[in-house]
Amino acid sequence: MALKLVGSFPVQPDRVWCAAPHPHLPLVATASTDRAVRIYSLRDFSLVSTIEGGHKRSIRSISWKPNTKGENVLATGSFDSSTGIWHQEHRHAAGGDGEEPLESNAEEREEDEEWRFAVVLDGHDSEVKSVAWSAGGSFLATCSRDKTVWIWEDMGNENYETIAVLQDHSQDVKMVAWHPEEELLASSSYDDTVRLYKEDVDDWVCCAVLTGHTSTVWSISFEKNGHQSRLASASDDQTARIWHRKPKAKEESSTQPPSIIKGTGDETENWEEQSCLPKVHTRTIYSVDWSKKTGLIATAGGDGQIVVYQEVDGAKDGEQPGAGAEGRKEWKIIAQVPAAHGVYEINSVTWCPKWDKKGTTVDGELLLSTGDDGVVNIFELSL
Amino acid sequence: MSDIINANPTILNPSDLPTRHSESRKKQSSSAHIADTISRLPAPKALLYDPFASSPGEDSAYSSGASDRDGDEDETAAEDIDEQEIYDLISTISDPEHPLSLGELAVINLPHIHVTHTSPTPQNPHPMSHVLVEITPTINHCSLATVIGLGVRVRLEQALPPRFRIDVRIREGTHQSTDQVNKQLNDKERVAAACENETLMGVLSNMLATCK
Repeated sequence: MALKLVGSFPVQPDRVWCAAPHPHLPLVATASTDRAVRIYSLRDFSLVSTIEGGHKRSIRSISWKPNTKGENVLATGSFDSSTGIWHQEHRHAAGGDGEEPLESNAEEREEDEEWRFAVVLDGHDSEVKSVAWSAGGSFLATCSRDKTVWIWEDMGNENYETIAVLQDHSQDVKMVAWHPEEELLASSSYDDTVRLYKEDVDDWVCCAVLTGHTSTVWSISFEKNGHQSRLASASDDQTARIWHRKPKAKEESSTQPPSIIKGTGDETENWEEQSCLPKVHTRTIYSVDWSKKTGLIATAGGDGQIVVYQEVDGAKDGEQPGAGAEGRKEWKIIAQVPAAHGVYEINSVTWCPKWDKKGTTVDGELLLSTGDDGVVNIFELSL
Repeated sequence: MSDIINANPTILNPSDLPTRHSESRKKQSSSAHIADTISRLPAPKALLYDPFASSPGEDSAYSSGASDRDGDEDETAAEDIDEQEIYDLISTISDPEHPLSLGELAVINLPHIHVTHTSPTPQNPHPMSHVLVEITPTINHCSLATVIGLGVRVRLEQALPPRFRIDVRIREGTHQSTDQVNKQLNDKERVAAACENETLMGVLSNMLATCK
């Protein structure tokens, strides 16, 4: 298999930190050093809008709010220590949930609709590094160099309330990511750990700590596969690792070795490292993304490479199939692109659906990468 | 700032420092090339007083100075940039607390600079080059080590073509919190954010003002 470059978005003047595909429209938003958000169409790879004026410093991270009706909502995290919430209302029909023709119409109108800087969420003491909406859209998580993770709840009418300030990390928090189905939040840090949080009665608490990386963990991504929850992490130690949640220990499990997981009471979760992806990166891995559609994992980083991994049956010839309870699985590299942004570093990779010109999703999946060259490249995996 | 941290540093005589400056510049096309690149950088004042303009410090130099020209630069200067070239770029940076250069204070030393080039291959026509600079702080608890390291990194990011990957480290055994400083200096996001901090950029532009 090979990754084929199928397009790229026009050059922006500065480093592009990340790109976020819209949850159900053929749009992608980028966050860049020039303090602007750009929205591109995934139908024809054209620039739809440029949003400026909300932040005083680089925009580091961007996230589309899922499940919005009749409007588009973006959250942006900036080095100016604030988080912005942006609204774009559709005056007429709703933005469609499921009906493609409506969606494409809605998207055409977007070129005329103004984006409005609706809310500024202040609270962090220093640069906001990452923002992420929960799967249902009711919570927004933010994290910062101030070592904290904040959870904001959307109270409606553009009111946001801080419902948790989590201070478990001992250093900068680089990224936050929500579980695709559960209200389970993960954060990764300069302190080399990944932490997981969930709500315990009225308080959000840290329910697991994943240790193993030997340097900053830059990026995390959950697998979407029901309750077989797993998480991928990518680090400055040049490795990417897979962590999985072990089934809840039974009451009478006192004979088991003590859990390394710290936390409180019943809310602790038992997570452990399952595997390390094949080592091919030669510089920091800045980004990892686990495809919600195909289960493939992509990584990219300072060495300019994009690597795609697939989980395959690892049982060798002569070995009994299904010997272990989970079966023996291992990760293989199925595609590798050196210099995916020429001589420049790559800051993020993200999977997104493939669309035709009419705005209908089609078979296949695209991989978007953003680089220090100010370019967003679009790749497709071909057999 | 309060007391000087190291009031009595060891100083080298400038004429003893290794250099390829002045006497050989005309013969060194790559020197001239880099000098040319540097002359296109925004004036230090732009970094200091106008952080909200559409061309913030480091990154604007990166894109306006280097990236639109990297095509020919790749071909002409690729093999030429060596340790001496790097030394000439950074040894003239001023110390943040002494009116002396990092070369004169032996913070930057030629043997502690390592440059690696990789040849292009059919699979990878855009190989990276690598430069590692090891800094020797004047005293082992020097709290300015991070600022000096950042100055070296920013200087190299501005002057070198984008194919260079830059690692700036504190030389092993010369500082009490080597790992901590190294981790900060090589965290891309922290460096990028620091370059948007106008106070810090003011200090850095003073340090870099003496670069030739």
